[in-house]
Amino acid sequence: MPLADVSETYTDLVTLVFSSTIAAKAWLATAAVALAIVQVTTAARIYGRLRFLPERGAAIARAHRWSGRLALLCTLPVFFHCVTILGWQTPNARVALHSLAGTFVYGVFVAKVLIVRDRALPAWALPTAGLTLASTLLVLWLSSSLWYFTTVRFGF
Amino acid sequence: MPRAWLPVLVGAAVVVSTFVLAQLQVFAPSAPAGAAAGGDSYRGEIVFERECARCHGSGGEGGGVGPRLADAGLDASRVAAVVEQGRGVMPPGIVTGQELADVAAYIASISSPSQ
Repeated sequence: MPLADVSETYTDLVTLVFSSTIAAKAWLATAAVALAIVQVTTAARIYGRLRFLPERGAAIARAHRWSGRLALLCTLPVFFHCVTILGWQTPNARVALHSLAGTFVYGVFVAKVLIVRDRALPAWALPTAGLTLASTLLVLWLSSSLWYFTTVRFGF
Repeated sequence: MPRAWLPVLVGAAVVVSTFVLAQLQVFAPSAPAGAAAGGDSYRGEIVFERECARCHGSGGEGGGVGPRLADAGLDASRVAAVVEQGRGVMPPGIVTGQELADVAAYIASISSPSQ
């Protein structure tokens, strides 16, 4: 398959569910941010905050892990299209900010996963990495999905 | 080197790899041939919703004074010609240049009955 056909195949696949590629990405990014909120909330509970939530324990830890996995899954098709098809672009401040945050997001994600697995690191390292990742995702959502929903159209 | 730097270094390597991948745009489509050469349906949707959706409906689904375009079986060159010349209450040249090519590509993409 010629490389350029990948773009066409991608569009054909996502338009089985959504009206367009951009709509698909906007909704997948929204799902990822919603799951990132679950991530931050459950992490806060694990760290002994947000005491109104159910008790700390296996259920919260499981919810934290699965919301992270699903959030990553939601970002993969978005990342694929943005990076390999659209590429780095800076036509205006919004797109430049989006390109910059998008370049960093998986780097922050990988760093966070490595920090989770290294218990010898200082206690502040993991919440810092987690909040940096959630903030990067939020910047990406604000500079793409929110812009799409408010200035292009709100629909599937 | 302290082990604490490992996540930062690996993360930085991923950032650089992402940047290189984004510069390469390995799967970027080549420009299509025909009247709407260079049309980008991705950007065309944004132009469509700004300039055309009031009459043709969001996503070309109809509902305004213009006809429904979704599933209408139009091709990009025909769309570009109609937009250039105008039709009915639609004035000629409502969209021009690259935006015309983009919006024609988008309308052709939503117009395909296979979708």
